[in-house]
Order: sequence, then structure tokens, then C-alpha cells
Amino acid sequence: MFNTSQLFPFLISGLAFGAVYAMSGTGLLVLYRTTGVLNFAFGAIGAMGANITWHLIEKTDWCPDWLAYVACVVVATALTLFYGVVLAPRFANRDPLGKMLGTLGFALILLGLMFNLWRSQDARVFRLPTGTRRFEIFDSRVTWTQVVAVLFALVVVGGVTVFLRATKTGTAMRAIANDREIASLLGVPVRRVETAAWLGSGVLCGIVGLLLEDLFGSLDMGTMTFFVIPALAPVLIAQMRRLWVGFFAAFAIGVVEAELNASNWDWPSQYRKTTPYVFAIVAVLWFARKRTVMISGRVTR
Amino acid sequence: MTTMEAAPPADAAAVVVPSRFGRRAAIQAAIIVVILVVAMFVLPALTSTFWVKNFTSAAVLAIVAAATGMLYGRVGLVALGQIGLYGVGTWVTMRLGFATDWPYPVLILVAGAITAVIGVLLGLPALRLHGLYLALVTLMAAAAFLIILANTKFPTGGPGFRGVVIEVANSRQMRRPDIAETDYGYYRYALVVAVLMFALAAAHLVSKPGRAWASIRQSEAAALAAGVNTVTYKLWAWALASFMTGCAGALLAGHVGSPSTFTFTVEQNIILMAVVVMGGVASLWGGVIAGLLAAVLPEVLQDWGFSSNWTLILFGTGLLTNLLITSWQLDKAGIKE
Repeated sequence: MFNTSQLFPFLISGLAFGAVYAMSGTGLLVLYRTTGVLNFAFGAIGAMGANITWHLIEKTDWCPDWLAYVACVVVATALTLFYGVVLAPRFANRDPLGKMLGTLGFALILLGLMFNLWRSQDARVFRLPTGTRRFEIFDSRVTWTQVVAVLFALVVVGGVTVFLRATKTGTAMRAIANDREIASLLGVPVRRVETAAWLGSGVLCGIVGLLLEDLFGSLDMGTMTFFVIPALAPVLIAQMRRLWVGFFAAFAIGVVEAELNASNWDWPSQYRKTTPYVFAIVAVLWFARKRTVMISGRVTR
Repeated sequence: MTTMEAAPPADAAAVVVPSRFGRRAAIQAAIIVVILVVAMFVLPALTSTFWVKNFTSAAVLAIVAAATGMLYGRVGLVALGQIGLYGVGTWVTMRLGFATDWPYPVLILVAGAITAVIGVLLGLPALRLHGLYLALVTLMAAAAFLIILANTKFPTGGPGFRGVVIEVANSRQMRRPDIAETDYGYYRYALVVAVLMFALAAAHLVSKPGRAWASIRQSEAAALAAGVNTVTYKLWAWALASFMTGCAGALLAGHVGSPSTFTFTVEQNIILMAVVVMGGVASLWGGVIAGLLAAVLPEVLQDWGFSSNWTLILFGTGLLTNLLITSWQLDKAGIKE
């Protein structure tokens, strides 16, 4: 069924995509636990940053490449902060679904803006310096972007774990995630901590935008915007709280999805993109098998 | 000694249904009839074939939007995967349409029934979920289904289960009903089916299932305590919404003839939810508004010289504005969801 000589290159590619899933998942999960907002605009914001980077590199002659890459992260952070500071507080009285619908509206606006600004201009591609440099391992070509993605995912998840445990803001984030109202009563500056969570998520958003462009090899706005849906799979598998479970789930999804491409049969290859959805649906339904209806009317999963 | 028997009414007229209700219902019925007459006879006479096709799309999408809105607004179930079921309805209709000589109404009913069965099979495990988790699982199920659909492709009159013709030149278009072969005729046909679907939904909402759904939406625990079989009624809602969506898919098959899998994307699921929220989920009229927004607004914008990409910005802004207004109203009333 599988051509074993092709397994390794797909493993590398799978690990790189798993790393992007892991970084996206970390940004989404920490933000959700701290603010109650599942940021559906994560992909759209990253895509906007990446398109601005392309515009600066290809359409201007004054901007050095490194500044254009920084601009991607800055723009993504600014857009995320704009939503988090200006719009999100207005949905504070909504349930998580209502809050998510708000980000969905923001994603549609950004997608419409990108289509209006750049869709007519085809061949929108830029390569990171790490994307053009390669080395060989076991007869497989590996780009430095793939290596950077995996290392960066490790650093991000490890760093966030340490940050949440060892710093004052991290402890405040965990307190808010546990019980927002009690944390507020105990003097935790909820709004400031939430802003920090939006800031961190925005930075990750920009980095994921850059890496995705380099890994996909194109700036397809729709694909990048809706990349958030498969990226949610590890978050759901982690039950929206277990960072390291999400991390390993992300890599598992990335590797399985990529390895199905190595199959000699048509159907696993054709349907490989269903991998994150199948993983997530099975996990969520498994976790929900013992559901309890609470007296307050809220239903636990 | 006191008695538990109720005292007879002093005046027999007091128990008669209040005339205001009767008058209100009559006015509503009259408005609906006038709108239908205008939509069915006046609108086609005043517009070109291009616009009639768009209004047909609006009638079809209104059914899907009404089903989604009914689930969200009346039962409290958020389905972000209706476009997937819409695709099932279209696929089943095309496959049966090429394989049999069944009359079109039978095709619509069978497509609706099969979609309802698939919807229930998917909904049964998903009903253990609520709110955000249900929305995400339905969206992911739809995303997975749409990948399968993109690979399976719509039947084109070929042999086998998939019914796909290898040579494109030999592919066939889906037939239309004998009484509605022209675009104008098919528009009226779609409108009649849409009215029947809305009537079906309205009949449910004003009867026992509608009351059970309202109690589930308010509080599932309270509904259980009141003796409502929450599983049955939630599945019932799911089946009805899937049936309506499947019937809409059947209408789409005849409308476009050879649908593209690009019509069914994850993006469409998101846009559908945006227009459903913009149209309003408290009333079935929201479905009509949503159908018009999704199908006609992009063409109106293009007619005025704007890119249809602006609709994404409008839908996003509309969704955000709607949420901001309702959040402000909740805030004013001191309610937290």
C-alpha cells in the first residue's frame, strides 16, 4: 500500500505542517482559555499579514525583505489587538458561540478586503530565506523553513508552558481560565491580562502566516483563511485546555495527513485532507460520551 | 366548603377567541398572499431571465437558511454544516434523476428523506454536544464531507455508483420537471416548493414540537424536568432541517443542471451562517431575507459596478453589527448568555 522510499519526505512535510498546526493551536487555545474567544479570524489575520509582506517585497522598491517579514507579524498583531481591545469586550456578555461568531464576521471582512486588494494579481509568491536553502537527509530534501517550523513549535509550546507556570501574568491567565469572576474579585487585572493574551496570539498569527505561505508555496487567501478549521482539530482533541496533548495531536495529524499522500492507492491520498476532521470528530464524540445535564441549564460535554 | 370546580364564565363571549388575534392572523395571511402573488407573477414579468435565475437561487437558499435559522433560533442547535447536507440533496437527486424516470416531486421527496436520514445519523452522536462544540463538529463534518464530494464529483449520467461520465462531452445535464422546463417556469416551481417547506416548518413551530423546542432552547434541564423527551425532539428538529435542506439541494440540481463542487465550500457554510444571523433567527422570514442576501445581493452589487467581493465585507460587517446590537440589548437588560 505504501511506497516506503517515499515515507521519509512525507514525514518531513507532515512534521512541518504538524508544527504549524501546533503553533496555531497554541495561539487559539491560550486565547480561548484566557478570554473565552475562539478566534476564527486567526487564519484571515495571518493571511492579511502575509499578503502585506508580499506587497512590500514585490510592489515597492524601498522595503528590505527583513522589514517586510517583520511587517507581517506587526500587522497581524495590530489586527488581533484591534479586535481584542476594541470589539471583543463588547461581546463579553455572550456565550462562547456568540463570541466566536464575532470573530467569524471579522474574518469575512478581512477576506473581502484581501480579495478586493490582491485577488486580481496572480502569482503572489514570496519565499522566506529559509525556504530557498535546503539540505539532504536520507535522500530527502529538507528546507530550513520545515526545520524552523518544528523547532519554533517546540519553543512556542515549551515557552508558553513555562510562561503560564512561572510568570505573574501567566498565573493570572490560568486564574482567569479557571474562573474569570473569582479571579477578578481577587484583584487580577482581567482586561490587561486579556490584552496580553491577544498580543501573544497576534504574534503567533503573524508567524504562522509567514510559515504557511512558505510551506504552501502560494498566498491563496481562502486556503489560508480557512486553515483555521483544520488547525482547530488539535485544540478540540486537547479538550481546549491541555496544551501538550494538543501539541502531540497536531504532529500526529500532520504526519498522518502527509503519509497518506505516500500511499500507492488513490483513495487514501484523495481523502487525506479529511484527517484533521476525522481525528477531531472522533475525539470530541468520545469525550462527550458521558454527558450530564446540569441543573443550571448548562450542559457539560 | 370550597370547590375546585371553575366558575362558569359570566359571559359566553368571554371565551371566544379574541377578535384581535383573528384580525392579526388575517392581515398576516393577506400580506403573505400579496407577496407570493407579486413574487410569482409580477416579478418575472418585470425582470430578465438573468434576474429570474437569481431569484430562483434565492428561493432555494431561503429554504436552507430557514432550516439553519430554525435550528439556531428555535431549538438552540448551531449547525455550521448545512451546506454539506445541501450537497447530499443535490447529489442524490442527480443520481436518481439519471438512473430513473421518477417524477421530479418524487425525486425531491426522496432526496429530502435520504438527506434527513443522513442528517439524523450524523446528528445522533452530535446531539451529545452543545453550543460551540456542536458548531465546530458540524463544521468539521461538513468540511470532511465536502472533500469527499469534491473527489466523488456530481453524477453526469454515467454508470456505476458515482454515475460520472469519463468523457466530458458525453456528460448530461439534470432534467427539470415537465411543467417547469423554462427558467420562468422553474422559478415558479421552486417558489411553490419553498412555500411548502416554509409551511411545513411553520406548522411544526406552532404545534407540540415547536413548544418542546422552545423549552429545550430555554433550558434543557427544565425541559427534561417538565417531561419533554429532549433526545426525540432534538432529533426531530435535526431531521426536519435536514429534510428541508435536502429538498433545497434537489431544487438546485434542476436549477443549475450540472452543479460544480465549488458551489459547496466551507466558505459557503460560514457565509450561510452570517446571512442567517443577519436575516434574523427568531422568525422564518429571516430565511427569506437570508436567501435574498446570499443569492441576489452579490449580483445587485455587480450590476452597480462593484466587485462581488464586497459582499464578504458586507456580510462580515452585518454579522458583527447584528451581534453588537444584540449584545448591547442583552447588556441593557442585564442578561448574560
